[in-house]
Amino acid sequence: MRMYDTQVAVIAAGPAGLSAAVQAAERGARVLVCEKAAAVGGAANMGMGPLGIGTRYQRQQMVDLTVEKAFNMFMEYTHYNVDARLIRRYFAQSAETIEWLEGMGVEFEGAFRYFPKAEPTWHIVKTDHGIGPRAASFMVKALYARALDLGVQFLLETPAKKIVIEDGKVVGVLAVDASGEDVRINCQAAIIATGGAGANKQFILEETGYRHGEDLFSFAIPGLMGDGLRMAWEAGAERLRVRVELAAEVENGIYLTGSVANVFMQPNLLVNRQGKRVMNEEHMQNTTFLANVISHQKDKVCFSIVDTSIIHSYIAHGVDVTSLVRTNPDVSDFYDGLRMAKENGYHTFFKADTIAELAREMGVNEENLIQTVADYNDACDSLDGEFFKDARLLRPLVRPPFYGAQVRAAGYGTVGGIRINENCEACGKNFEPVPGLYAAGADACNIYDDSYMFLLPGNSMGFAVNSGRIAGMSAAAYVR
Amino acid sequence: MVTITINGFPVQVQEGANVLTCALDNGIYIPHLCHHKDLSPLGSCRLCIVEVEGQPGVTPACTLKAKEGLSIRTENEEIKRLRRLALELLLTAHPEDCSTCPKYGNCELQTLIQYIGPKTGRMKLRSKGFKPVEDNPLLIHDMDRCVLCGRCVRACNELRGVHVLHYLKKDMESYVGTLHGKLLKDADCRFCTACAAVCPTGTIRDKLTEAQKQKSAEDRLVPCRAECPAHTDVPRYIRFVKEGNWDAAAAVIREKSPFPHTLGLICTRACELGCKRNMVNESPLSIRNIKRCAAERDTGSHWRGKGKQLPDTGKKVCVIGAGPAGLTAAYYLRKQGHAVTVKEALPLPGGMLSYGIPAYRLPRQVVADEIQVIRDAGVVIETGAEVDRPGELIPEYDAVLMAIGSHSGVRLPIPGSDLPGVLLNIDFLRSAAMGRETGLGRRVIVLGGGNVAFDCARTAKRLGAGEIHVACLEARDQMTADEEEITQAQEEGIFVHPAQTFERITGESCVTGVDFMDVLSFSFDENHRAMIRKAPDSLHHINADTVIFATGQRPRITSDAGLALGRGNSIAVRDMETDLSASSPGIFAAGDCVYGTKSVIQAIESGRRAASQIDRYLGGDGDINETLAPAQHPDPHIGCVPGFGYLERKEPAVHPAEERQNNFNPFDQGLSECDACEEAGRCLQCDLRLQIDKPHLWGDYANGTEGRNN
Repeated sequence: MRMYDTQVAVIAAGPAGLSAAVQAAERGARVLVCEKAAAVGGAANMGMGPLGIGTRYQRQQMVDLTVEKAFNMFMEYTHYNVDARLIRRYFAQSAETIEWLEGMGVEFEGAFRYFPKAEPTWHIVKTDHGIGPRAASFMVKALYARALDLGVQFLLETPAKKIVIEDGKVVGVLAVDASGEDVRINCQAAIIATGGAGANKQFILEETGYRHGEDLFSFAIPGLMGDGLRMAWEAGAERLRVRVELAAEVENGIYLTGSVANVFMQPNLLVNRQGKRVMNEEHMQNTTFLANVISHQKDKVCFSIVDTSIIHSYIAHGVDVTSLVRTNPDVSDFYDGLRMAKENGYHTFFKADTIAELAREMGVNEENLIQTVADYNDACDSLDGEFFKDARLLRPLVRPPFYGAQVRAAGYGTVGGIRINENCEACGKNFEPVPGLYAAGADACNIYDDSYMFLLPGNSMGFAVNSGRIAGMSAAAYVR
Repeated sequence: MVTITINGFPVQVQEGANVLTCALDNGIYIPHLCHHKDLSPLGSCRLCIVEVEGQPGVTPACTLKAKEGLSIRTENEEIKRLRRLALELLLTAHPEDCSTCPKYGNCELQTLIQYIGPKTGRMKLRSKGFKPVEDNPLLIHDMDRCVLCGRCVRACNELRGVHVLHYLKKDMESYVGTLHGKLLKDADCRFCTACAAVCPTGTIRDKLTEAQKQKSAEDRLVPCRAECPAHTDVPRYIRFVKEGNWDAAAAVIREKSPFPHTLGLICTRACELGCKRNMVNESPLSIRNIKRCAAERDTGSHWRGKGKQLPDTGKKVCVIGAGPAGLTAAYYLRKQGHAVTVKEALPLPGGMLSYGIPAYRLPRQVVADEIQVIRDAGVVIETGAEVDRPGELIPEYDAVLMAIGSHSGVRLPIPGSDLPGVLLNIDFLRSAAMGRETGLGRRVIVLGGGNVAFDCARTAKRLGAGEIHVACLEARDQMTADEEEITQAQEEGIFVHPAQTFERITGESCVTGVDFMDVLSFSFDENHRAMIRKAPDSLHHINADTVIFATGQRPRITSDAGLALGRGNSIAVRDMETDLSASSPGIFAAGDCVYGTKSVIQAIESGRRAASQIDRYLGGDGDINETLAPAQHPDPHIGCVPGFGYLERKEPAVHPAEERQNNFNPFDQGLSECDACEEAGRCLQCDLRLQIDKPHLWGDYANGTEGRNN
């Protein structure tokens, strides 16, 4: 067994763990990080940047967003079902966190909205050449470099297995290294930041009722098995509800040309298994709302439907709606993607010469769908009296062949599970902290209640970085 | 040696050496993707570009050769810009969504994105539209994720010489695959999985079960060695057998156990359960038979009189019980220099090897010969020496090891279980082995579905019983006995009745038979309690005059021995995994009496562990490892073998039932030399992959874990 001695052991090196490590080390603690993967960064390697409220970027963009306003928005959105003290501390710290990151060389493109109705809280990391997914891997690099500068020790490919508690206090962490050898880290404090259980299908089924790969297509980043949740619960932290941070996507779209998903995620006609509309499709951009809508339908599925004239319009003029994640309006390779879907046997895309045939192909109520399309086409000539969709986004379905695609709940993994207070101390059933135990990031992200707050984008990484910092501060103070 | 300069630092390297490798070896990171230390340079990814003093522009470091005075810079603004561009171009044809990729967190490309920067919306993403191919054993090809670094193609062609993977084209897209899209097996793949080892992305991956993902890389990659309780170096001796070097092969096996020949005959072969050959064509390598062949031909040239023997320490150890656990511990303790006496209650040493396992499976001479080696090492074995109070052996001895096995049969508490005519497995087998009266009648029912049940049934057959039935609770596919045991018993006319409950043993003054009911389902709950669902109205009866319980054994020990006992009358030890000390100081325990009936190889491993711990207790270093076999330098260039994936397992010749069922002579002839060598040729040589250089990631250089020592 290999032994290490440190003051603060951080479990996992995602954005929360890295932030915790840097923060604790800056406050003078000796810190060791053990990480399951061979590389640091966790889910942040896919992300683009954290939330900030009241930052200089917002001021430069003449955006008047105060902590007070964001706090009130957030609390109303969550019906006050979440920890107000934690939200308050997180939001109040978030602007300074942006500067803290800049201090270690992270640059930001600015503050962005995910879609027009959102506030620009999303601080996207600058990569020297424009905006796109994975931008935050630069932030990961900066945090890692800073941690190493501060003398933080990293054990990669060394998953933690157990928190050792003696006399009610954290005294160590047990782990296993890449060669299978046991590792013991003697420490006074442990910060759990393992990023939830997004890859643990069984756990997701038991906790949320979703069947991953059947009615849920959320991120399943390998290694996210809920290790931290289990360790924290075993060590005496209270078990809170675990949820999936939901979004929505075109099923199997990621295996095709990007144009296919891009076309079907436009505010087209969206129907359920009964062939009826279920929402004002212009809100499909808020993929949290879209996922919620889908979750309430039979078989947890919806169908996005277009006709040939709509596709040709998208191809000729670009799509109606783009986002910072799907930046390109060009969908010229849509038909290439559909061909791939056919060749590779993805049976979630449908094509037919009549609406009735399309309904049969999709397994949707035929009579209802014919009626729905007729009503929708009428609305295109006047107004959408049913769901009040913006007339500019109403396009009739007239020219065959018609195309449909299944839209499913997706998302980013699990959030929540470990009770923490505003100091990110893990707390037991009696609401008292387990001495020396802290949790941050997705493992402790109990702040969304039932739905991700897309109106203040950047929340997941924002919470990870800020709760990591808070945990780091608390742990450093505790070990002193 | 020449001196080259990297970023102003002089570095001594071999002339003509690959400059990128030199930099990496000297702790200087240069990003790279197509480069791999074990493969020839390609220079296609353009990420390792550097500035060479006196040359305009940039040059890939992987194609530079070291020469005196060469001076390079690994970073400047132009290099950064060009690397970004090169990576961005690579990423335009790589899926944007990493979150579905099993390589996430261990992907070289992902770490390069951290180091160099991601692709942005500036260039349009291209999807290649390849569907993951999962039809092959062991490997998944997910060509959508391929960045055409060509490492797999070079590994397959240059490093291994197998020539299965090639660059191919579909429409406008290049990809890596087999000619005409053949399955790997049909393309003569040797399933060495070097391609997966070198793949920097999630394109070519190992097919892994959830259980495998929990294991360390080495255990996952070489399962035979990991699954063997004693971690016998299977691939190494298989390779010696392939060369016909029997002595070296036997020496490898002997490095972990003093019973190679015994194991070659009766090992439960956990190694074969793990063998990856099983995934390729439904039958694992015949490891046990190969072992047997080596052990039978061993002249001992590598180990006889040559292994480790430390000078005498003056310490005395008493081992109680001369079964495989006790004798193994005794052997290694003696080699550590301690004086060892083994006390055995029965007239012959060997424990279950002499009294449990029937002679038709394990000839007594084999056991005697292997025990002689242990005696020759200086271990004193006293037989007929029963020990009731081990504590009293201290202080005459400095340490005592309890290795008493499990020699009490378990009589299930069902009605009629103490009628005359009811026998217990271990008593029956012992009497049979000693040539004593067993009390066996004409019609026999054996209750139990493990190997011991079949040992009882087949022994009864050989003792002349007329009609023999074996009945057990487990369903046919859940029976714990070796498949071979079950089918051979059936060939000998023994009836097998799976999925039965034992309702009662019938009879007034003696056994008349057993009442059974059919089992619909059988499992254990979390408290290890059996959960049985019976078929209604399925009560039926089988006539018999003898019933043998083969439903487990327990250690023959009581609390009078002065030791704390645990579950199933076992000897309690501090920690079954790490600390075999019993409740009384100086007393240790190993083998079946600690963890219940398992296998010979498990007992050997337990004995080894006890030896190591006792040696430490007596002031030694506890290192009982020894190297007996000569060094082996396996050739990574394994070449092409036509039809490799389809090579069938060689089966040994076995005497027909009518010739074997009335005597105790061994009937399994083992493999011929020729067949054993051919069978060894079926080995996938999974361990070769461990030679392949691991990825060099920027984080390791920043972290200082990559050597800066040179």
